[in-house]
Amino acid sequence: MSMNVQETLTSPLVWHPQTAAEAWQYKQTYGIHSVFVAGGTLLRTHWESGAAPMPQHFIDLSAIRGLNEIRVGEEGLLIGGQSKLQECRTNPLLQRHFPMAVDAIRSIAAPSIRNLATIGGNIASIVGDSVPALLVYDASLIWYNGQTEQEEKLSDWLLAAGQSGYRNDRLLLSLKLPLKSETSRGDRDENSTNSKMKRFGAFHKVGRREAFTPSVVTAAVSGSITDTGLLNKIQIAVGGGQTIPRRLIEVEKEIVGTAVDGEMLRHLFDRALELYEPREDVFASASYRKQTAANLIVTELWKASGRFIGQGG
Amino acid sequence: MSDKAAEVQVPFQLQCSVNGELKTIAAPPSTRLLTILRDEMELTGTKRSCEIGRCGACMVLIDGRAVNSCLTMAYQCAGKQITTIEGLSANGLDPIQQAFLEEGGFQCGYCTPGMIVSVKSLLDDKPNPNVDEVAEALSGNICRCTGYGGIWRAVQRAIEGRRYWK
Repeated sequence: MSMNVQETLTSPLVWHPQTAAEAWQYKQTYGIHSVFVAGGTLLRTHWESGAAPMPQHFIDLSAIRGLNEIRVGEEGLLIGGQSKLQECRTNPLLQRHFPMAVDAIRSIAAPSIRNLATIGGNIASIVGDSVPALLVYDASLIWYNGQTEQEEKLSDWLLAAGQSGYRNDRLLLSLKLPLKSETSRGDRDENSTNSKMKRFGAFHKVGRREAFTPSVVTAAVSGSITDTGLLNKIQIAVGGGQTIPRRLIEVEKEIVGTAVDGEMLRHLFDRALELYEPREDVFASASYRKQTAANLIVTELWKASGRFIGQGG
Repeated sequence: MSDKAAEVQVPFQLQCSVNGELKTIAAPPSTRLLTILRDEMELTGTKRSCEIGRCGACMVLIDGRAVNSCLTMAYQCAGKQITTIEGLSANGLDPIQQAFLEEGGFQCGYCTPGMIVSVKSLLDDKPNPNVDEVAEALSGNICRCTGYGGIWRAVQRAIEGRRYWK
């Protein structure tokens, strides 16, 4: 049986660069008629649904050496952009030092998709469900701009990428997650207690199904509480659906150093409602998403505060 | 650009192994593996359904790992070992297939090849998975008939069978 005629006529050319420089050169040559392709899972669904036209040139990134490695660098864990999501999900270094990122990746699609899809692709989508967890870990992106490597905070890039007309021809080489001193000493458990400090951390994804569901709301919360019930550190990030994830830096600054009590949690809830600006769709309103995110964030802090919560009202 | 990145491309031919046989298939490089398997090779045990990676009916093994063939493009299969449901039963029913038969792990049967391929990938990697691992492994396979009860029993029987025959 012959190949579908339409499929043959519309089939793009696929280029297989061996280096980042070659890949970038292809992008310069073919411009808007080309696309970097890693796993291609999200792109494929866009093309199939008609949400985006299939471009004439694919720039396949799979043959570029070193982009699928996960290794400890001088300043943190380096995750190659071509690392498959399933490899990230099962990687011992990620499991040990960045469990929220592993939880987030585990919530993306299903193993069969994660066997194709890459962490670089999930980030490049801007709204990938791994992003809130990566924000809480203060991740940076390493780009190739045709001449040199550039490091950029994930949070900064998300701000720029959210602007209308934003165009980015750079190639995402890798993701860097800083190894903090306490994690590098092997204290992996984000819900652990030592004599002075109780650490906590959790990633939540709320969707419309139990598994393999698009997110409605995603939230990552991490921090520590002193033995006297004061909030020592806090990082909060929210996203979900088509909302570009962001840290809630404003409220983080307002509550750090204060007692984790009822008054503080009420303030946190109200400020989360104000600061989180989700995009709504036909399935879930912005109001529902705000309430859900605020509940998730406050609940996590309430659980972490444990015995302290009753003292403040 | 290097010589490899020349401006003119030669017509793509997919060279890979399908169910243990080396194949050379002329196809546009972005052709879906699902199309090649069903339309070119007439391996129709791999089912076409949602075509966007949501249902798992088109699941195949690529180098032993479960992958949705509707999302996989021909050029991504170059040099790979592809196994379809037909390949699992080349020498008689696979014990996983037998377990699905004995436990009634199907009704209309349309999702069943994909289910079995996903279970095969799981058990080859983790012969003794716990409940969470089974649920995760099958989270990309949808069944609209069984309510999943028979499928759960079939997976459990397949696990026990492997333990027994080990």
